[in-house]
Amino acid sequence: MALNFGYNISKPRVIDIDRNNLRKSVEIIRELPELQACIGCGTCTASCTAGNLTSFNFRKVHTLVRRGEYQGAYEELNKCMLCGKCRLLCPRGINTRGVIMLIKRKLGDF
Amino acid sequence: MLKVAVIGGGIAGMQTALRLRELGIEPIIFERDKELGGKVRNWHLLFPTFTESEAVLLPLKNRVAREKIEVRLATEVREFDSTSVTLASGEKIVVEAVVVCTGFTIFDARVKDEYGYGIYDNVYTSVDIERMFVDGKFAHWRGEEPERIAILHCVGSRDEKVCQRHCSKVCCVTGVKQAIELKRRFPKADIFNFYMDIRMFGPGYEELYHTAQREYGIHFVRGRISEASPLMDGRVQIKAEDTLTGRPLRMSVDMFILLVGMRSNSENEHFARTADLRLADSGFMQPKDLFVNNVCSNEEGIFYAGTVTAPKSIGEVLNEASMAADRVAEYLKER
Amino acid sequence: MSFYAPFTLPFIIGTTILFLVLIWKYLSWFFDLPRSDKRLIFKGIPTFATLRSLWEVVRECLLHVRIFKVDKRLGYMHASLAFGWFLLIAMGSLETIAYLGFKMVPLQGHVFFKYFAVANGITEHKAGWDFVMDFLLAVVLSGLLMAWFKRLHSRSVGMRRTTRHVLGDRVALSFLWFIFPLRLVAESITVELYGGGSFLTASFGNLLDLIFGHTLLSYAYEPAWWCYSIALCGFFVAMPFSRYMHIFTEVPLIFLRNYGLRATSRKKSYDNFEVQACSRCGVCIDPCQLQSVLNIDSVQSVYFVRDRRYNMLTQQVAQNCLMCGRCADKCPVGVNLLTLRQNSRDAMRNIPAERRYDYFKGLDRSEGAGRVGYFAGCMTLLTPRTMTAMEQIFEAVNEQVWWADRNGGVCCGRPLKLSGETDSARKMMRYNTELFRKHNIRTLVTSCPICLKVFKEDYDLEGIEVLHHSEYIERLLRNGRLTLEKGVTNYTYHDPCELGRGGGIYEAPRTVIEAVGALVEAEHNRRDSLCCGSSLANTVINDASQLRLASALTEELERTGADSIVTACPLCKKALSRTAKERVYDLAEIVAEHITK
Repeated sequence: MALNFGYNISKPRVIDIDRNNLRKSVEIIRELPELQACIGCGTCTASCTAGNLTSFNFRKVHTLVRRGEYQGAYEELNKCMLCGKCRLLCPRGINTRGVIMLIKRKLGDF
Repeated sequence: MLKVAVIGGGIAGMQTALRLRELGIEPIIFERDKELGGKVRNWHLLFPTFTESEAVLLPLKNRVAREKIEVRLATEVREFDSTSVTLASGEKIVVEAVVVCTGFTIFDARVKDEYGYGIYDNVYTSVDIERMFVDGKFAHWRGEEPERIAILHCVGSRDEKVCQRHCSKVCCVTGVKQAIELKRRFPKADIFNFYMDIRMFGPGYEELYHTAQREYGIHFVRGRISEASPLMDGRVQIKAEDTLTGRPLRMSVDMFILLVGMRSNSENEHFARTADLRLADSGFMQPKDLFVNNVCSNEEGIFYAGTVTAPKSIGEVLNEASMAADRVAEYLKER
Repeated sequence: MSFYAPFTLPFIIGTTILFLVLIWKYLSWFFDLPRSDKRLIFKGIPTFATLRSLWEVVRECLLHVRIFKVDKRLGYMHASLAFGWFLLIAMGSLETIAYLGFKMVPLQGHVFFKYFAVANGITEHKAGWDFVMDFLLAVVLSGLLMAWFKRLHSRSVGMRRTTRHVLGDRVALSFLWFIFPLRLVAESITVELYGGGSFLTASFGNLLDLIFGHTLLSYAYEPAWWCYSIALCGFFVAMPFSRYMHIFTEVPLIFLRNYGLRATSRKKSYDNFEVQACSRCGVCIDPCQLQSVLNIDSVQSVYFVRDRRYNMLTQQVAQNCLMCGRCADKCPVGVNLLTLRQNSRDAMRNIPAERRYDYFKGLDRSEGAGRVGYFAGCMTLLTPRTMTAMEQIFEAVNEQVWWADRNGGVCCGRPLKLSGETDSARKMMRYNTELFRKHNIRTLVTSCPICLKVFKEDYDLEGIEVLHHSEYIERLLRNGRLTLEKGVTNYTYHDPCELGRGGGIYEAPRTVIEAVGALVEAEHNRRDSLCCGSSLANTVINDASQLRLASALTEELERTGADSIVTACPLCKKALSRTAKERVYDLAEIVAEHITK
């Protein structure tokens, strides 16, 4: 059930910050700077309604997006039901639903 | 002799009073409880050396008695300023200076509804566990030895959702200590500590962490538990993300322990208002600075010692208490 | 008799443009309506709905009864302008008839009657008519004076804030402000030179004469009428492109609404009537907590509708709304603000992926069996006290319960719908509906008002009764299936937006609370209750802002002096718990605690 995005056989696994285009990621962080406050505790993913039914992992998706790894992010985020449990639990008070909407908007045509 | 009020009779209050007496000042301790000792009284063994809490409390208490320090038990302070203390009874006592040693409040785990404390059986706080060790009785669901125990770090600490942004500092090492104690008590049990970050800041703490992993086989899972639900057989099912593998994790445990954090006393706000003192964002009292004046308040003649300004370990509290007494003496001399 | 003078030309041109634009707009909107809407209109015309609409037009478009209910001063301001002007036109026509008998008189003949009476050599003056016309002009001018004053100092007409306007509105507004003073000047001069007039025009004419002298006034005679005509022309041309479009649009809106047309989760032509019927009066600004607590003053419904009308709506404005419904509740025009905002979000959404939510297939995590189904909702899973309490209540009344989502299920779809992803939300609705049907339940109980609203409004659950747990418990009490021991605790109750304003359920929770203790009402309650700030509809404000909204509400609830705060929504409970001094309860919890053993 490994997450099938961010890398595949033909693409090297390394997150190459030197080569990744960080423009979108910078834009996303500029609009919702609180996303940088994520400490990766996993509460969002643990409580996730969609994550309990699929391989969707919000924490991983937004972290990869912040590193400039956009491929597949839109499709992954489409699994989210926007129910809002994660926002109610996030210990860092991140507007997770806003993050999802924003990334989808920014990467919709990626 | 010059009279100085010490508000709070925990370890900070007692140590401050003792040091004041050494400096030739007459302290008077006001304690809300019927007994001296504060929260340490409820603790069984202290990290990182598994020292009995009595080893800290008894010498302090005995010395307070021997020095014939005036102690007002079951006495609540309603208000104070740098020259007087007003008790709940209305009595006003004139003093030369005040040292505030009112400590902290333990976070009420019931606020975190999703962990089921006070709703399901077999959900405990770290405070409950200490009490069980003190009493030697484990109120367990079927009287059998637990096979699996989960300990959750950061309950009521580093959590915006309960307005507790600060780190309570001592819970991490307490979690490791309690894991070891539980393992000693229930050798067959598998113990899992769920953490966001492990902060081992003191001498011997990191070593204790190491010991827990190597000698006691405690499992450390990096992920914060999001919610717990009850099972038919009385066990508790917890949900977390195992962030190191990136997959959701589900587990049934016989005991679910919440490492509750230290929060500021709700009276701090009242004291700050009536005595013109500054509060930190966390609700703890704000010392004049965090360096050379870390035991002074923004008001002349009012001093702080111990966890009234921030979460601290016992050793740090005791050091600070001596420091506060020294600064009081200096203040009275220079005045 | 001639009713033409060169100065009337601007007026004639302005009026012609106005009516052409109006007809073109209304016809094109009408033709764009979906067929079902058109059918509703044709079916509705020969019914009572038409009469009812006429009456409503008088009440709302002329008298502005609903604005009177918001504030009497504001009501007078609107009514004096609208009804005053209307009467001025109506009485003006009657005046012409009174003087000339029943005769075809062109429009400008009525409007500029004072001028044409002189031009046509009518020397007789009917003092009664002069008085009526002067009186009406005075009424309109007083409303205008208030409007001026409102711009300077909105509090004096009962508003904390007034609307900030766009350029087009300012142009129209300036012309509007000039119309009546110019009419006063033109008529006063006429009266002064040729006699007639009453308390207003006659005395103002005298005053002008005193200041400027007779000769100057006779020179100013024609120009004054020109100016009046130009002001009218300017206003009429600007009108359909400005907020004053509302003056006419509210009329068809009232009819269409009474014929059963409604805005839906998808944009459609009908929305034009709603959007352009907004007068931008700004009544919606004051109730908005984003404004009163957070000082955000660019996203309120008035600005949203304005931006949408001029095609300049941004995500920032469309998404930044709690959809608590406090504004919609106060809107004097009754514009369906929430649905409009929601369908704007729908129009701005991403293209939904076809295969989205394919993973629902074959999913069923429910447990138990019974005629009663319990849908906790995602949020209730985070407030297990509510769920345990419900379990105790079900046990106490021996109810066989099917638990839909205790082990996690599929969301009800409302959060997604609120964010504009209507198509995707439908997939969830379809999934849950099938699940309910499969397990053959007759009653569906939910603890979450958000789920409740979507079940009632968007799900096709014929044969399944949908109840909020407050209604369910109230029914148990009424049937005598559940008895509670009344205690001495004082409770205050917070009406969740989706349950109260959204679902109209105010009494059931109150009845239940009174069965276990006493109820103390907070300052804002029922329809007027505040939002907890954690609304799922808002994806813009951050955690700190949510907290400020919540603590403002908690403070108000604590001010009641009640022992405990009770609410009936998991989201509200979580939000209030963040700053409440004491534990916050869900309705089910206090019930479970008081069940008679």
